[in-house]
Formats: sequence, C-alpha cells, structure tokens
Amino acid sequence: MNKPELVKLIDTTLCTACRGCQVACKQWNELPGFKTKQLGTYQNPPDLQWNTWTLIRFQEYEDKKGNFQWLFRKDGCMHCTDAACVKVCPSGSLYYTPLKTVGIHRDKCIGCKECVAACPFHVPKYDAKTDKVYKCDLCYSRVKESHAPACVKSCPTGALTIGDKDAMIKKAYAKVKELNKTEMGKDANVYGDKFVDGTHVIYVLQFKPEVYDELPKNPTVPASVTIWKDLLKPLSLLAGGGVIGGAFLHYMIHGPKVPHEGTGVEEKKGGE
Amino acid sequence: MKKGYVQVTDSYERILHWMLAISCLLLCVTGLGMMFQTFNFVGAFFGGLKSLKLVHNFTGLVFAISLALVIRMWWKEAGVFVFPEDLDWCMAAGGYLWHVDKVPETGKYNPGQKAFFLVVAGGGILMILTGLVMWFPTALPVGLVRWMYPLHALGFVAIFAFFFIHLYLGTIGNPGSVDAMITGWMDKSVLTMLHPKWVKEMEHEGKLVVYGEEKKDDAHGHH
Repeated sequence: MNKPELVKLIDTTLCTACRGCQVACKQWNELPGFKTKQLGTYQNPPDLQWNTWTLIRFQEYEDKKGNFQWLFRKDGCMHCTDAACVKVCPSGSLYYTPLKTVGIHRDKCIGCKECVAACPFHVPKYDAKTDKVYKCDLCYSRVKESHAPACVKSCPTGALTIGDKDAMIKKAYAKVKELNKTEMGKDANVYGDKFVDGTHVIYVLQFKPEVYDELPKNPTVPASVTIWKDLLKPLSLLAGGGVIGGAFLHYMIHGPKVPHEGTGVEEKKGGE
Repeated sequence: MKKGYVQVTDSYERILHWMLAISCLLLCVTGLGMMFQTFNFVGAFFGGLKSLKLVHNFTGLVFAISLALVIRMWWKEAGVFVFPEDLDWCMAAGGYLWHVDKVPETGKYNPGQKAFFLVVAGGGILMILTGLVMWFPTALPVGLVRWMYPLHALGFVAIFAFFFIHLYLGTIGNPGSVDAMITGWMDKSVLTMLHPKWVKEMEHEGKLVVYGEEKKDDAHGHH
C-alpha cells in the first residue's frame, strides 16, 4: 500500500473561469446550492461556504500601463503538509490521509470551529444547521481509488491536473520558466511548495501572490497555534505532574503541619 | 461535633466553595477530553465528544456565576495583601519549605491562600472571557479569536497546577484543615497554629464560636 504523495496543480494562466470544477465539486459531494446575492461580479457565491468547497475568484486587474486583464483563481483547501487545522482539531475529525492530503471525518466533528480560526487560508466553513465544519477533501473517495478529483476531471482546459508530487512541482516550474520567457510577464511563480512544509495544491501564478485577492503572501501555521499546542499543552501536564511530585516530596521530607498536643503551636521536628 | 472545635466557615461559604470547586473540576476533566486526543475517551462518559463540549460550555456558566459570588464573598479577606505582615510571611515561605522558629502571623488568610484565590479569580475570569469567544468564534475578527485559545490554555496551566497545591495543603499537608470546608468547624489547636492572629482577633472581638461554650461577650449583644 505504498500510495504516491499527490499534488494538484492549478495553472491559473489556463483557467477560463467556466466554473465546471465548481459544479462538478457540488455534484460529486452532493452539496446543495443556495440563493445568492449579485455583488456586481461574476464571482458567485461571494466566498467559500460550507456547501461550496471550491470557488473561482474573478478579479479585475489593471497593470501600470492601464492594460485590463481578468485574473481567475480557483480557491479551496490547499492540503498543507503541516496543517494548522489538523493540529487544532480536538476530535481527530481532520486528519492526514495516507496520500498526505487533509481529509475530514464528518461524524467525528463536534462543531468547535477551532479549525475555522486556525486555517491560514480561511478554508474550513461552519454550518450551524448540522453543527459541523466542511471543506474540500481533494475527493478522497475518488483519489484513493485512483480516480482524479471531480474538479480535475471536469476541467476542459488543462488548468487542473493531478499527479505525483515531484512530477507536478517539476511541471509547475517548467511552466513558470516558459511564462517568464513570454510577454506574459516576468513575475510568474509557483505558489505552495515553499510554505507549511509544502501544500498538496499548488498554483502557477502569472503575477506575484500579493496581487491576488484573498491569497496570503506568506501563509504559516499561526504562532498562536504553535504556542498553544506545542508549548502550553505539554506544559499543563508537566506543571500538574510537577506539583503532585513536589507535594509528595514535601510530605515525605518536610511533613505536614501538626500542632504540638493541644497547644496551637507547631510541633518541632527533628533535623531536616 | 467535638467539644472545643471552632466555627470557621458558614454554610454559604461552603456551598459556594463547592459549587466553584465541582464546576471547576468538571471543566478540567471535560476540557482535558478535548485538549488531548489521548483523553478523547472521556467523551464516552458524557455521550460523545459533542455532548462533552456542551457539558463543558454550560458548566462554564455555572463556574462563572459561582466565581462572581466567590469573588464578592472573599475579595476583602483573600484578595488584598496586607503589608508588611504578608511580605514577612512570604520571606519565611509560611514555614512550609524550611524550618522557621515562629511563622510570621497574618490575617484570616495567609499570602499563600491569597495567591491561590487570586490565581483562581484572575485565571477564572480569563477562562470565562476566552471561553465565551471560543464558544462563539465567528463573532469577532479571526486575528483576535486565534489568541483566545492559547490564553485559555495558559489559564488552564495555572489553575491546574495550583489546584494540586490547594488539594495537598487543604488536606494531608495540613491535617484538620479540610474540616473548614466540610463541617465548617476546626480543631482549635490546628486553627491557632495556622491562623493565630485571626483567632486572637476573633477572641478579642468576641466572635469566636467554640462548640459547647457560651459566647464570651454575649452581654455586648453584637449581631
């Protein structure tokens, strides 16, 4: 059972924003659609929701020369290697699959929303009705049977591909190199392989990450999570255990305070 | 009740103490069940982790009410340090750590007890505030919410450690003292050893209630 480590590559320069992936995701995962609001953009719904695990972000971009361009970015779970959500999950609902992606056991979710606050990409979404959290699981039910995720399967332009981690990263860098030779700009870059120990969803971006809406420039496991889980959590047991040990030693060495028979003055002890 | 025992607490104090103590312990146990996946099995006793979370949250409300009443009740006696006597006591570590010929006398509560009270009061308020945000985390900006979790854990580190100190010193570390929170009556020699100044004050003011003895200055008729 030596499954490969998978990486999904999103080449934003090939995306035409057809939103086939958005629909395919809903179909495979049987997610309902809800009434939405027209916010003056094609982007719909406005953000990831508990019932929308992937979303094409539509961004109107104008460069310094005033050239207009659409930027389309498929947003969704990045499947971090060092995932803050898995780290904070109290019930083991969020977990690393054997493919190193981040899966979710919905039956174990207790609706605490700790992952919602911890995720550097703001991906997990909470549904009050079921009192549970939802997010993309990279179609674990499909990939474990060697099928492509629904979004990848539906993509007509080749913007979405999935494969062995090393091969996909190589592919991404090759594409960036090619892009930077053309007039499409010199800022093209690979996003995802260098932080949180590498994500299992990586982007080929035409522009610097800070250009894109809602895309963190340098995502990390929040310091609050590290202090909480790696420092204070073990410290609580160490401190409690230390006090119990200390009390035991105190009782054995110093002994309890006992008054000298009926006097109200502490009994004198022998040499300590 | 044995003859010669002195009344040190009334039923109101003991009831509040145990409301706070039991809710606090329940919070520790249920909290540990969620803090460590190794302790997830605790959830089984509450009908699953989801119910455990609910028990934890609503026990937090009981704890909050108890703590508010406890602070109101004990603040004057246990929340304020008195100098220089409390400092002298600290310098001698209350006679707990090395031999001291005569432990400096303090008021009703010694600085060690005051420190415990303040950790429970301050830590408890921290736990209630951070816990409330954790209960409704979507109500505030995520950058702020994130820090509530380590603060909640920090409060637990302090309260959990101090709890065992309290447990030890309130039972086998000071034999006879646990009666104060059970029957409310303590052996006078134990009480005099631990709180000499308070006993003197009560005697002086005629407030000392000794089992089987008439109050000395009933003639003055204070309350």
